[in-house]
Amino acid sequence: MNSFFKNIKGKCLVAAAACLMTASFAQAQNYKIAFIARAQADSFAAWLANGIEEEVAKYPDLSVDIMDSQADDMKENAFIENAIANNYDLIIVQPNNGEAQRPYIENVVKAGIPVIITNPRVKGIEGASTVDADPYEQAAVNARLALEQVPQNANAVVLLGPAGNMHADMRHESWKKEFFDKRPDVKIVGEQIAHWNKDEAMRYMEDWVQANDKIDVIVAMNDNMCAGALEVVKGNPKFANILSYGVDGTAEAVLLIKDGKMTATSLQNAYDLAAKNISVAHDILTGKAKQVDTDIDCPLITKDNVDQYIEIHKKAGAIQ
Amino acid sequence: MTPMLRKSLDVWHVIKSRYSIYFVLVVMFCMCALLNENFLSPRNLANISAQISVTTILAFGETLLIIGGMLDLSCGSVLAFAGLMSVYFFKLTGSLPLAFSIGLCFGMLWNLLNGILVRYFKAPPFIATLAILAMARGSALLFTKGRNIYQIGDFVWFGQGSIGFVPVPVIFMVLIAVITWYILHHTTFGRSLYAVGGNEEAARASGINVGRIQIGAYLINGAFVGLAGLLLMSRVNAGLPNAGIGYEFEALTAAIIGGTSFSGGIGTAGGTLAGAFIVGFLNNIMNLTGVDSYLQQVIKGAIIALAVIYDIRAKTKRSQKGLGGVEHQGETKTSA
Repeated sequence: MNSFFKNIKGKCLVAAAACLMTASFAQAQNYKIAFIARAQADSFAAWLANGIEEEVAKYPDLSVDIMDSQADDMKENAFIENAIANNYDLIIVQPNNGEAQRPYIENVVKAGIPVIITNPRVKGIEGASTVDADPYEQAAVNARLALEQVPQNANAVVLLGPAGNMHADMRHESWKKEFFDKRPDVKIVGEQIAHWNKDEAMRYMEDWVQANDKIDVIVAMNDNMCAGALEVVKGNPKFANILSYGVDGTAEAVLLIKDGKMTATSLQNAYDLAAKNISVAHDILTGKAKQVDTDIDCPLITKDNVDQYIEIHKKAGAIQ
Repeated sequence: MTPMLRKSLDVWHVIKSRYSIYFVLVVMFCMCALLNENFLSPRNLANISAQISVTTILAFGETLLIIGGMLDLSCGSVLAFAGLMSVYFFKLTGSLPLAFSIGLCFGMLWNLLNGILVRYFKAPPFIATLAILAMARGSALLFTKGRNIYQIGDFVWFGQGSIGFVPVPVIFMVLIAVITWYILHHTTFGRSLYAVGGNEEAARASGINVGRIQIGAYLINGAFVGLAGLLLMSRVNAGLPNAGIGYEFEALTAAIIGGTSFSGGIGTAGGTLAGAFIVGFLNNIMNLTGVDSYLQQVIKGAIIALAVIYDIRAKTKRSQKGLGGVEHQGETKTSA
């Protein structure tokens, strides 16, 4: 009988210890973050999603679920609604179309869930944090360099991003204000929307090269399109001195700059953006901050400093 | 009306109905030549041919499928996956023939799935290929984690090389045009394809193995898509997991403008080639003359609609006059 009670007592002690341990584990919070990506098929968005995943792995108290909106407003809005319903601790939204997501992001704030808007930001939502790069400045650093480099009476071709996309529009506006308005001698002989795509940019450039004997400068709103245009004039002595400017600082662009084929780009570093997003998220979740608006830098990359950016891509495995 | 005049008019109607799309092509060619002096330069014509090569090769695959009463919405995504695999294996081994074969194999593999879904699970081609569209694109993104593959070395030969003054993609495009034409008009498989697309039950009753024809059509389409994928990747000098989005619609546009009927049983390789060139000329001339981006889309839509209306009217007139019976096999359905 005695041994029976001793046995029961022992089991009770073990059970109590197990309960205490469970409780203490429960106290070590694990915060669930939803990252609602614009489109995994967009190479920059995919780069950012990979960066977010890698950054979250550095925080033992964070976990992340990544959702692909496939560049579709309806899908993105549904993901936001689902994330509210699933009680995520924090939601990071990379809008496909800022205004289309605005009411849904406002609903996140109303539900009392912290939200970060990134790449691009949607302005004026009280209570929402924003982490972004400044698209105007990204283009402006290139445009200011072009002011010095582009010869008098030059012919320029311009490759634009999708109409209505905030980054595409702001970069275009920046080039207009910072370069074309100040250089009326420069003639735009071709300007088309190539939707950030390399193959579309190639098609346009092939036609422009036929229509114009002289093209002195390629102005592209991203590196992909710039690389596409350069692919067309590669090895053509008539365009050996062509100047070309992009934005993003992709692996391909830095290699082209290193080879002397591309003039400059500005870095929109997805790793920096991911690191800043997750650090802000962690600060908000642990109560160190309530609402944050911040930008990452957009350094200009030219032949003089390209090596350090090649190293960044090498570390990330994008360049072998 | 004298019998002589009537006979001449009938002959004119036959010529007009059979070759209406080529007539549209020639008119467009002449108009483009008048609008811009650079249009006729050999370099520009070579550029146009190279630019349309990828979507035209896809369009030949679509033509075969549509004639057989099927469809492929997955070609843009499968193109990206097959092209990526081709680039990846080239980077691994440095072998162009292996990279070429890998591209074709993966194109065929995905299309075997399309064929199985359509044939054995009776899934409508629209739904089956829509499912494969998502799977192939997702696989391409998973495989690369959404990153582009750069530094592809000699792989660029497929898309940027030339033999003599003819770009390699154009040679492939012509080769595929000839293969498609041969399949459709000189093989039992081609004749069976028209029969299956025209009336599947009648084809089955006449002893045609419908399943074999459907799977075969998807496999040929797969080889074409794989080829288009490796050509595109090498043309852009990179492995792009997001390449080819929306290409299925460009391919369908070329096939439909070229007279391929969505109701099945009607279509020709020559018509599809003409359709692809009509779209190519249009894009090219608008860029050469500096037409605004937004306006380009409006004009493109309007001209495509006009070309199709003209073609349909010409065929309807022929049909009303009972002249369909003299048409070649690809158009027998209108006289049925």
